[in-house]
Amino acid sequence: MNRYRLVHTTEFLYDGPVSESYNEVRLRPMHDERQSCLSFRLITAPMSRGTAYRDAYGNWVHQFNVLAEHQRLKVEAESVVLAHEAMDSSADSTPLSDYDCSCHQIAEEFYDFMAPTGYVPHLAALEQIAEDAEAQSDGTVAGFAEAASNVIHESFRYVKGATHVHSSIEDSLSIGAGVCQDFAHVMLGVVRMRGLAGRYVSGYLVPGAAAAPDAKQEDVIGGQASHAWVEVLMPNNSWMPFDPTLGKPVGLRHIRIAYGRDYGDVAPVRGVYKGHAGQRLSVDVRVRPALDDTGTEQLAKSAAPPAPATMIAERPQQPQQQQ
Amino acid sequence: MGAAPAHMASLGLFAGYDTGDFYDEMFSSRGEPRPAYTKLFQKLATMARSHFEERRKLADLSFLIQGITFTVYSDGRGTERLFPFDLIPRIIPNSEWQRIDRGLSQRVVALNLFLHDVYGKQQIFRDQRIPRSLVYSCPHFHREVVGVEVPKGIHTHICGIDLVRDSKSGEFCVLEDNVRTPSGVSYVLENRLVMTRTFPDAFQANEVLPVNNYPAELSRILRSLSPRGENEAQIVVLTPGTYNSAYFEHSFLAQQMGVELVEGRDLIVDGGVVYMKTIRGLTRVDVIYRRIDDEFLDSLTFRADSILGVPGLMGAYRAGNVALANAVGNGVADDKAIYAYVPEFIRYYLGEEPVLRSVETFICSKPQDLKYVLDHLDNLVVKAVGESGGYGMLIGPASDRQRIEEFRCRIKANPRNYIAQPVVPLSRVPSYDASEGSIAGRHVDLRPYCLYDGEKVTIVPGGLTRVALQRDSLIVNSSQGGGSKDTWVLRGES
Repeated sequence: MNRYRLVHTTEFLYDGPVSESYNEVRLRPMHDERQSCLSFRLITAPMSRGTAYRDAYGNWVHQFNVLAEHQRLKVEAESVVLAHEAMDSSADSTPLSDYDCSCHQIAEEFYDFMAPTGYVPHLAALEQIAEDAEAQSDGTVAGFAEAASNVIHESFRYVKGATHVHSSIEDSLSIGAGVCQDFAHVMLGVVRMRGLAGRYVSGYLVPGAAAAPDAKQEDVIGGQASHAWVEVLMPNNSWMPFDPTLGKPVGLRHIRIAYGRDYGDVAPVRGVYKGHAGQRLSVDVRVRPALDDTGTEQLAKSAAPPAPATMIAERPQQPQQQQ
Repeated sequence: MGAAPAHMASLGLFAGYDTGDFYDEMFSSRGEPRPAYTKLFQKLATMARSHFEERRKLADLSFLIQGITFTVYSDGRGTERLFPFDLIPRIIPNSEWQRIDRGLSQRVVALNLFLHDVYGKQQIFRDQRIPRSLVYSCPHFHREVVGVEVPKGIHTHICGIDLVRDSKSGEFCVLEDNVRTPSGVSYVLENRLVMTRTFPDAFQANEVLPVNNYPAELSRILRSLSPRGENEAQIVVLTPGTYNSAYFEHSFLAQQMGVELVEGRDLIVDGGVVYMKTIRGLTRVDVIYRRIDDEFLDSLTFRADSILGVPGLMGAYRAGNVALANAVGNGVADDKAIYAYVPEFIRYYLGEEPVLRSVETFICSKPQDLKYVLDHLDNLVVKAVGESGGYGMLIGPASDRQRIEEFRCRIKANPRNYIAQPVVPLSRVPSYDASEGSIAGRHVDLRPYCLYDGEKVTIVPGGLTRVALQRDSLIVNSSQGGGSKDTWVLRGES
């Protein structure tokens, strides 16, 4: 069963008192034809009142503030998600060369997913990767994107700490290493420079053990909490996902939260507060198969109020890199 | 050379006056005073220099006492200085003003519809009247407000649209739109006040349309935006603070409207509602006339390093709990490359032909335009698309080789950031040159202030005439050493 209960906990610990903390989170899994978000709740400690809206890319954003002094801020997002059957990845066989003539029109319509960004500048080094990918591909658009994903997976090393949350692809290109955020950014640069539209996907990768039908225990995946990959626009107007970090097809273990041009559009938690205290950030994601659609079997034990689905400095809250 | 009428030689302050090769607002090409200026000319021509000087000093003193000042950022000479005022008013014939009024109203409505569209349904892209890439690549296009419903659908509550009279055609045309936080209206009101005190007799001879209803009209519009209804509207003017170049105006308008002047630190957002900190506790705020740029409004949504704004403000705005004037994201409409498309907006949204002409504009992000611009830098005015106030500009004919080459590099490095226009020979108005002790022609532009309530556009008759006080200078911006004049629209035919 591909129904998961996810608990994503972000905790900020401050050395001293801080106040007037304003935060916005993108933590609510998407709800569309490929995945259903069956329930979602956001709980903060200290308690807060919040508002929710959808951003320019259709992502759910929740904002909340804590005015009073506090030394710890905990944000817990709990969701139950049903992953549907994976897309048919052999849907499109348009040759890359045929696609080139419609490139200008695509560039107009999907400007945001083709233009360079702060994290993904268009660099000459990306052209080499694109050439390698084209040589390895079967000549179709889908084949090229898949080859690009493979080339990046093969030629970059996954090294935690090699880059940081604000690294642009220049950093990972120069050291040949990075985390999933960097892999996704490099892939976006490669496909965009080749004239394809690509978007950044923020989400979760459910570990294999938690996806197993007989999994009972909550599976702690801590550091690998949030994941990032990309989707590339195919000539038939569908978005096809690729995971250059994993190097395997994107399937039912990939849970999507938000789309953007790059990480900057979809940071899971972002905030500002007042105070001079230093801060530490810890993130923890627990996931296990859900027994029913609301995950209520777990709620009895929770201290959280049962009702509304969403409860939902000046210093920036420490952002968390997607690994 | 233009006309230098013989009979002027004997005319006191006008002795030696030369209209030059430019359209002169006061004199026709034959050297005759134009009808609207007849009485003013007679008055000035018969005035003794000492008498004029006296009134001029009186006017200056009046500005000084009232503390009407502004700031020039680049020269490091302290925060405040007097805005130079030229005592000789500029007169716009009534019939010409009617046309300007029509043209500006049309333009403001079209700009508002454009903003409503690009942050809403985006029909204009589907109809291919402007490339999406041009709009989306504008640094002031804010994706953060895509889909946000603004009260009464108004984005452009307050616009200052810069007009110039082209000496070649003698016609007014639009030089640029300012639909973010245009400043200067306080000078329109203060200039008029000082003029009526120092030149009362001139007003007796001419029936000048009043300008003093501006604060009341602005207040009425702001009140109408209140999410809790007009009767409970708590309005504030939000200023970046005393170091801002237009701080005087912020405090002036707050005072004129009888509302609080606040800085970001005086406001706080809780649960998506904005409050003002007062000695009696928190008071809910409904409408903010903000004079802080978008990028500094809310450190949660925009620049995290901004301490000028109010964290969480955009959440309250998005939820409809507070109204902002002007709306957020307007910078995309006064981007200098988008400017070239405004006539098209008027046709597309209103089905009308533009009343006012625009200046021919080369968009450097278009390859063929870029080539032309780089080949003709000597003859063009180059402007950075997102700048205002005369910053980031090249005036080709008045620049040395080094400066031109510097701009060539900048343009090549980032073509989307630049546009170019031919140099418009601005009209001139007789102005007093204190060092010569006589009157000479000086170049002027005109910034009328337009208020939009969602149904009609109200424009203060006249506006701010800015004058380049240096001989031969074309730069009228106060930040670049320009001054201003009282601007008259006369009642009835003239």
